[in-house]
Amino acid sequence: MPRNEYQSQLTELRADVVEMSETVAERLEMGLEALETADEALAEAVIEGDAEINQQYLDLEKQCTDLIALQQPVAGDLRFIAASFKIITDLERIADLATNLGEYAKAGETSLFPEIDIQELGEVTLEMLDEAMAAYVEEDREQCYVVDERDDDLDYLCEVASDTVVRELIEHDQLDGDAEIEAYMEDVSQFLLTIRDIERIGDHSVNIAARALYMIDNNDELIY
Amino acid sequence: MSEPDTDPEAPDEAVSSPTPGSELAATGSTSASGPLIDTPIIESKDIDVFYGDEQALQEITMAIPEKQVTALIGPSGCGKSTFLRCVNRMNDLISSARVDGELLFGGKDVYDDDVDPVALRRKIGMVFQQPNPFPKSIYDNVAYGLRVQDEEVTDEIIEEALRGAALWDEVKDQLDESGLELSGGQQQRLCIARAIAPDPEVVLMDEPASALDPVATSKVEDLISDLAEQYTVVIVTHNMQQAARISDKTGVFLTGGKLVEFDDTQKIFENPEHQRVEDYITGKFG
Repeated sequence: MPRNEYQSQLTELRADVVEMSETVAERLEMGLEALETADEALAEAVIEGDAEINQQYLDLEKQCTDLIALQQPVAGDLRFIAASFKIITDLERIADLATNLGEYAKAGETSLFPEIDIQELGEVTLEMLDEAMAAYVEEDREQCYVVDERDDDLDYLCEVASDTVVRELIEHDQLDGDAEIEAYMEDVSQFLLTIRDIERIGDHSVNIAARALYMIDNNDELIY
Repeated sequence: MSEPDTDPEAPDEAVSSPTPGSELAATGSTSASGPLIDTPIIESKDIDVFYGDEQALQEITMAIPEKQVTALIGPSGCGKSTFLRCVNRMNDLISSARVDGELLFGGKDVYDDDVDPVALRRKIGMVFQQPNPFPKSIYDNVAYGLRVQDEEVTDEIIEEALRGAALWDEVKDQLDESGLELSGGQQQRLCIARAIAPDPEVVLMDEPASALDPVATSKVEDLISDLAEQYTVVIVTHNMQQAARISDKTGVFLTGGKLVEFDDTQKIFENPEHQRVEDYITGKFG
């Protein structure tokens, strides 16, 4: 096949994006585990590890711009590079949100609402990320739609969880004094932010699936 | 490849009339796998070209839109230059060449017996790969096509042609100097001025920038875009990025003398229909 160097650079880009996604998924798992176990060391590891993800992002961004500038890709190759360029942004944002989970694990009470299973929500986002990346790697258009549909389920679960928090907040009447109320409100606020961040991780996974679909079929149906 | 819609209302005037393009039907036409062309100035219908026993083009069907840039790309030997030469009957100069099918210019088949090739080439000018100014003054180079056809030459026409070729400001004070004294890029723009001086309707360009450096290439590319405001431009190029930059429509010829795909340039370079086209433009085969 002509342009061997170019072809190998495309293969390398795909492999490096996958590697970044695996690192991000690992950090997300660690963030969720830190939330569950209130493990400060684990939380700190997620936070400190964000710099590594940022560097991976910058390296991949350069790989994409170099390919565009030096190889003038067109058609399917161009869509692959354009999709990869967008996907790494979503991966980097997921890593930032995993970092947030680490911050929440360090900062406050994480078992205020035992009836809400944060780990279950987190597991859904991990699966969505895995499915979105599989769609990208295997060029599986059906899988792109599956991720989009699963996001509706995640949104619903997050909405129910948020409603539960708000309802309990309204019904809560056992606090004594301003300091106790303030501490409780901080914990509640953080819990709501946790739910919001998990919901956003799902959105970023949908973005990845949407870009994969564009890459596969020049179809922008799932983008926004 | 799908057949083009033929227009039953198309006029049948002699192409050697002064303004054949003005007789064009305005109804749409499709070509190859390509787009709807509202105002085709050139329509190729099942064109086959043979050089002796060897077939160089097979069933080329496409409609070239008026006042746009149409690029023809493909590997060496695929027939794109052969097709270009069909349009203004340059293939007539090759004794073994035979053309079958219809090639309509303004609705009139240019291969009809009553078509005068010289008059046809006045309406369909051509620019070649190597700048080929004559060993004459800049002025006489531009005037050449007009004088050959005994047409009036005025300073105004020469200036207009040189301005149209974006060369006037660079040569206005040296019109009596030899065209061969100019740089390669200027010589090619002089050839473009010579081509447009008779006020053609179509300008055919066969690799017009391949012998030029990047700066001269940029000037010629800018010029091609400007020319399309007044003329129909059909350009053969090996440079796919050049085709992507400057053309509105792109036809992809592949081996065997076949037009595999013809569509909006954006479509060809972002999402071509045919895998062979995708493989060619992404460099997966040459």
